[in-house]
Amino acid sequence: MSVTPEAVARATTLDVVEVKGNAMTLSMGPQHPSTHGVLQVVVEVSGEIVEKAEMEIGYLHTGIEKTAENLFWTQAGTVIERMDYLNPLGNELTYTLAVEKLLGVSDRIPERAQSIRVLVTELTRIASHCVWLGTGGIDLGAISTFFYTFDIREDILDLLEQSGGARMHPHYIRIGGVNGDVPAGFLGRLDALIAKFPQRMRELRALLQNNPILRDRMIDVGIVSPADALAWGLTGPSLRASGIAYDVRKAFPYSGYEKYAFDVPVRDDGDAYARFLVRLDEMEEAMRIVGQVRKELDTSGPIMIDDPKIAQPPKEAIALSMEALIHHFKIVSESFRVPPGDVYVATESPRGELAYYLVSNGNNRPYRVRTRPPSMYNLQALKHMVPGNLIADMVVMIGSLDPVFGEVDR
Amino acid sequence: MPSSQAPSIAGSALDPSAVRPDIADAEIFRVAPAELRAKLLLLRAEGCSLLLDVGAVDYLGREPRYDVVYHLLALPAKPSSVAEIGVPRRVRVLAGVPAEAPMLPTVCDLWPSANWAEREIYDLFGISFEGHPDLRRIQMPEGWEGHPLRKDYPLRGPAREATPRPAFASKSNVPAGTPPAGKVAAALQKQIARARGQAPNGTEKT
Repeated sequence: MSVTPEAVARATTLDVVEVKGNAMTLSMGPQHPSTHGVLQVVVEVSGEIVEKAEMEIGYLHTGIEKTAENLFWTQAGTVIERMDYLNPLGNELTYTLAVEKLLGVSDRIPERAQSIRVLVTELTRIASHCVWLGTGGIDLGAISTFFYTFDIREDILDLLEQSGGARMHPHYIRIGGVNGDVPAGFLGRLDALIAKFPQRMRELRALLQNNPILRDRMIDVGIVSPADALAWGLTGPSLRASGIAYDVRKAFPYSGYEKYAFDVPVRDDGDAYARFLVRLDEMEEAMRIVGQVRKELDTSGPIMIDDPKIAQPPKEAIALSMEALIHHFKIVSESFRVPPGDVYVATESPRGELAYYLVSNGNNRPYRVRTRPPSMYNLQALKHMVPGNLIADMVVMIGSLDPVFGEVDR
Repeated sequence: MPSSQAPSIAGSALDPSAVRPDIADAEIFRVAPAELRAKLLLLRAEGCSLLLDVGAVDYLGREPRYDVVYHLLALPAKPSSVAEIGVPRRVRVLAGVPAEAPMLPTVCDLWPSANWAEREIYDLFGISFEGHPDLRRIQMPEGWEGHPLRKDYPLRGPAREATPRPAFASKSNVPAGTPPAGKVAAALQKQIARARGQAPNGTEKT
């Protein structure tokens, strides 16, 4: 047997692709539980030591960028939020900010809308880290973690369902603001979550942080130096665990992040344990921001831009005003035109710098929607991290990079 | 179809990087393919240590037809705090690529992060990268015809249907049409045969 593309394509999980003396080529994935989705890793092993790892991606390619080019500006958000399915609101927000910049209305978004945007994206960040911590715990044999973190995540998804109407993909952040104010009862439930969160984090830390098994599995595993982290394009928690405190929320603040007091957790070790600690700290920092935004929501205010060409008129107005009916019809049936130009807008997703490079040619559909997928670049660094390590440590490294394949493959 | 929905894309002499000076999101440079590597080397020497992304745009009807877009960020390559990083420099480099034999030099040797991004452009736009260590399709299956993100790639209709779809033949574990094998399959076959042999209640066995 030899390592041909056909042999790799035919291989199922843990199939032997090639044997040469002590060395063996194994295929892991694309249906392996530790690969966090549909990743296939073809590893050359000598005993338990991985000598080379080659990743095959594309199993979840759904052509979202192409689909978005053929939808209206207002519709494209619905497919875009499905890329990173653990961070749907972050995707919506990034795309929306980019379109607003092209429209030239960035400074006219009402303050309350911006606060709600920050609130829901920070809640999504916590929910996303909850999934990472739960599934990462399973990789390491700590199965009970999953139930603790998914309990927090359920509370957050309930809140998102209440405000946006759906648990996973609410399309709540719209061009010009947000789709409806937070409903009655939302703030009470949010207060309850804010009140019980510190205790939950204490429990998680008590369970995990000094757990000798977890420390043994993660410390000094998958070390990335700062220079390598930059060369391989790492961003987000994976970059900050290598000592570089680059956070888009601090470097290029958007949606009013400059108003909120929060720290950027940084570690210098660059190993899987450092990435683990950075994300744990980030969950608490995110809740700090949520607490500050919560105080702003006591007063009411507009949640959508005052521009009938962009914002859909309220339902009551449609019944009474002919102009409102016309505007509603125009926005729904053919969206609006966006002045020509290109723009690159980045935000801090739970996985790193998520950005959209949008090109408009003045039409009512985007000409090009290019995503900067943080997961894809983070995952690529695995090729650099794995050689010379145990095959079991590779599983830890994949988990520590937190890839989401909806975004890697798009 | 209302007039505003007609895609007035083909033939537009669009260079979006020049029309909106009000959007100051990055320093923008436009270079010829021959000068691309020299420009990127210079920027890297100036401190643009992070290649965030390489993307492409197909301006069908324009010459050069494609733009390949490099997004760079200047970060210090050593442990540093938020205050030290401040507001890092963002740079965007655009290189026009002609429709005939589209080709650019690779930057994989400068930034290993470009590897998958260049493969993706090769896969979805059909632009080659000279010197790339492993240039093959990444998202679409091996043997796919055409490059889906090109503007003239059919979305639907007869031409789209004519495109062969080896998607599952190439990337799946089992070649199409392979009968199930092994003990489980044998047991399953037995069960099916038994079920077929039993007549439903109240009917005559023929």
